[in-house]
Amino acid sequence: MDKRLRNALQQLTASDTESRRRAMEPFVRATFAMFIGHLHRYLGNEVECEDVLEDVYADIWENPDHLRNIEDDRHLLRTVYLYYMRKRLREVYRRLNRRSCLSQADMQNLMAPDLGLADLVSQEELKELLRTMLDKLKARERKAIELWMEGMSNRAIANQLETTVGAVKMLEFRTILKLREMLKEHCRESGAQG
Amino acid sequence: MANAHREIQELLADYAASLRDGSVPTFLKSLTKEEAKRIGESKDFWEATEIVRMMNSASFGAKVVTPDVGLFISRVDAGIASRMKKAHASTRDPSRSHVNLQ
Repeated sequence: MDKRLRNALQQLTASDTESRRRAMEPFVRATFAMFIGHLHRYLGNEVECEDVLEDVYADIWENPDHLRNIEDDRHLLRTVYLYYMRKRLREVYRRLNRRSCLSQADMQNLMAPDLGLADLVSQEELKELLRTMLDKLKARERKAIELWMEGMSNRAIANQLETTVGAVKMLEFRTILKLREMLKEHCRESGAQG
Repeated sequence: MANAHREIQELLADYAASLRDGSVPTFLKSLTKEEAKRIGESKDFWEATEIVRMMNSASFGAKVVTPDVGLFISRVDAGIASRMKKAHASTRDPSRSHVNLQ
């Protein structure tokens, strides 16, 4: 873990509120990119991410007890997600749920789920993992996913693959489930190696 | 998202697109009771959402930038100051909260 972050964490878990307030600046500087990147997985909207993160930092300042004895970046992210981010994410979507047909439980599972198999993997590791998995797909499946990840609409992907939008959606769905199986396999193998 | 009864693969594709485009609330509002029930009962849908989050994060998460982290820090500090003020006010003078009923 970065030395500045380690120092900020030490000050952040001090007993008096003013010391914690002073420690917040280096803590935010050291963690902002990591936290906002993670929040983006669930919200996909930068403005929403910033609003939620603002409350998350204030919650950490108010009650930093969960951040004692943090060992590394992954441990920090896991702790912040489970004890601070999730609560705020659920609040955002509790408001939205008033106009949605989803049940409260499904809404929570969709917007602030339990940590999944690869939810704590860093951005770089995630890219590498996805690249490895995409290499194992058939050319058409891979193309559909890559085009989607470039930001293309399903209609544009359908044009590229010379098929219908409905067929693209089905192809993406089946391919995503295939990727999910690959991810499970990867996690089993790394678990066995560890 | 115009179809009245989307199949599960269409629902996943629409959820994925809304997450990528930052418009999840619109997707949620678009769900009919039937579609919401279909989502609730589909194990495949829930398993697929994890991969969708991964794909979203790998391709677009790294592009999330705030031009001025200093400005963001000042917002956080203002939030903390406000909470300190509230905590101080609630402990400073408990007699103020009493209402004179006479």
